[in-house]
Amino acid sequence: MPLLLKTTRFVESQIDTFLDIVSDSATTFQLAIEDYLHGRIQEFEDRLSQIREYEHRADDLRVSIERFLYERTLIPENRGDVLAILENTDEVIDNIKDSLLQFSIEMPEIPSDLNELWMQTTKASVAAVEQLVFAVRSFFRDLAAVNNYIHKVYFFEREADQIGERLRRKIFAGDIELSRKSQLRFFAIHIEMVSDAAQNVCDRLAIYTIKRQL
Amino acid sequence: MFFFYLLSGLFLGWSLGANDTGNIFGAAVETRMLRFKKAALIAAIFITLGAVFEGSGPSGTLGRLGSVDALGGAFTVALAAAIAITLIVRIGIPVSTSQTIVGAIIGWNVFSGRLTDYRSIITIASSWVMAFVLSGSIAAFLFYLARPWVNRSKSHLLVQDHFIRHSLVIVGAFGAYSLGANNIANVVGVFVPVSPFTDIHIWGRFVLTGLQQLYLLGALSIVVGIYTYSHKVMRTVGKDLFHLSPITALIALLAEAIVLFLFASRGLYNLLLSLGLPTIPLVPVSSTQVIVGAVVGIGLAKGGKNIRYNILGRISLAWVTAPVLAFLISFTMLFIMQNVFEQKVQEETNYIFDRLTITRILDDGFEAAALSGVNGRSFTSERDIYRELNELKDLSRDEITNIIGIAEIYPLMVDTIALTQSGMHRRYSPEQLAILREYEGQEFRHKWQLKTILIAHDEFAYYPEPDSELQKNQNRILDGQLHQLYRTFRKE
Repeated sequence: MPLLLKTTRFVESQIDTFLDIVSDSATTFQLAIEDYLHGRIQEFEDRLSQIREYEHRADDLRVSIERFLYERTLIPENRGDVLAILENTDEVIDNIKDSLLQFSIEMPEIPSDLNELWMQTTKASVAAVEQLVFAVRSFFRDLAAVNNYIHKVYFFEREADQIGERLRRKIFAGDIELSRKSQLRFFAIHIEMVSDAAQNVCDRLAIYTIKRQL
Repeated sequence: MFFFYLLSGLFLGWSLGANDTGNIFGAAVETRMLRFKKAALIAAIFITLGAVFEGSGPSGTLGRLGSVDALGGAFTVALAAAIAITLIVRIGIPVSTSQTIVGAIIGWNVFSGRLTDYRSIITIASSWVMAFVLSGSIAAFLFYLARPWVNRSKSHLLVQDHFIRHSLVIVGAFGAYSLGANNIANVVGVFVPVSPFTDIHIWGRFVLTGLQQLYLLGALSIVVGIYTYSHKVMRTVGKDLFHLSPITALIALLAEAIVLFLFASRGLYNLLLSLGLPTIPLVPVSSTQVIVGAVVGIGLAKGGKNIRYNILGRISLAWVTAPVLAFLISFTMLFIMQNVFEQKVQEETNYIFDRLTITRILDDGFEAAALSGVNGRSFTSERDIYRELNELKDLSRDEITNIIGIAEIYPLMVDTIALTQSGMHRRYSPEQLAILREYEGQEFRHKWQLKTILIAHDEFAYYPEPDSELQKNQNRILDGQLHQLYRTFRKE
């Protein structure tokens, strides 16, 4: 019995570490965008490498958790749901990395008058991811609180969509070439996609929460 | 020879191990919270412990319903119950040995011309309904208790899983113990009156009574059932009959274990007696119906949306069809055993209404006019006496049973050496043994004669008109002791 409890505690800490990484990735994403908008390209690249590192660690942790859950037949009734949550949350980090990678490859020139809206969209997306992390943590520890956090994720996702729409309108209203407008729209949508990914996890999480409730 | 005849009882045990263990561990194994090997080991150990140490209560109730007094009869009754259960389970009705064995015993009573104790039938049949309703109520209550714990718990999902997993082991062990205690009567209960086992003393400290040895044998047949066939049944029960989450499986299992224990524990019975509280009859109940009751209870507590109500109809059907079918099979098979295979399925008992017995009956307060139809006559069947007595005066069934008990010829000779040799003397206090020795070699024609001289002593205190449950229980204990003396002192 103590051995099993040790395994339980170990997996528990791995899940917590995984969620810490998701949270850190979101914060790093916001800082990276801020660096990029202010022309601090070296710092931006450093942040990108950091996120790549996070992505690897998150993948390793997810596989390790998966292996433990199956090998020790832990939470047999919920492990399918838990693994789906972890895989989908992992996709949020992938989205963050893809978005920054595109910045690094294409180095789009962003007019400075778009900076504020750009940051607001980023902040809304990051807030959605942070609330998602709270929701997932609650799924494991405090089932009653999950729905509150899910509600907040939906709120910030809508916020990101609305600000993103304003950003795209402003891009196309500006006095720049159509090809640049098109390129900037692509980057704006990429940032919104981070909150969309958080919302996708919440859609599943809401159902899994109902399943777990008595 | 005894062991050959016991085979039908052991077959019942195998069937119990194969089928009913699924009701305890089915959901836990199917949800992969427990591995089959672990579940089987827990079931094997605790069913055996329950059967050996707590199995006598429900067995006594079955004994009062009908005391099958010949090996061939016990064999046939157990076989009839086994055949009936096989047929009914094939139709898809959840039934258990509890229902079929009762019908089979009544079949023996009717075949051998014995009177059936209606009060025992009512006690047993009402217990089936009560067990079902009680397990549903307990499960619903436990569900309401568990819901806030699960929904508002701040403990990690993995810790909850850890807790549920170990609770399933502990509650499963309790359930298995209760199942063994409650259902062993179904397996070897009919063999109790004809069991040849004598008490075994281990290192002069522990006594394994003859009854416990019989139960141990029955329990071993259950264990064989667990290891040979229960895995398949567990999967079916866990997957098809009711798919439960681990926490609801735990609630259902706990409710089932509590109900089986309530209907099996003599210790609890005595405790309730001493506290002056109403007691629960010690009756073998169906573990299948009890677990279905628990699942229905949880379903109702959840709002009653997902309950398959047709299962309730099927269970009610089982309460009637199982005993009736077992009765018919038992009666037919007893007829075939006696007349085709020429096996003894009952001891021939004679009843005489001579001056001695008539005087005794009159002393008990009966009117002489009521006895004019039987006075001076001998009978070979209880039913014939019943008919004669009923024609003249409207006597109650209890009164007639009392009269029949007095008229029964049962030659006895006090033989304390035989009592010591069989190891049964340990059931009596040194004072009681000293009194028995006073009557060494004395012969009696009727059981009541021995009883009369013994209860005149304080050491064999008997309450003719008990006014409390405690006194009734004291009478029951004394009846058990006297029953043992009758068997040991019987002259062939």
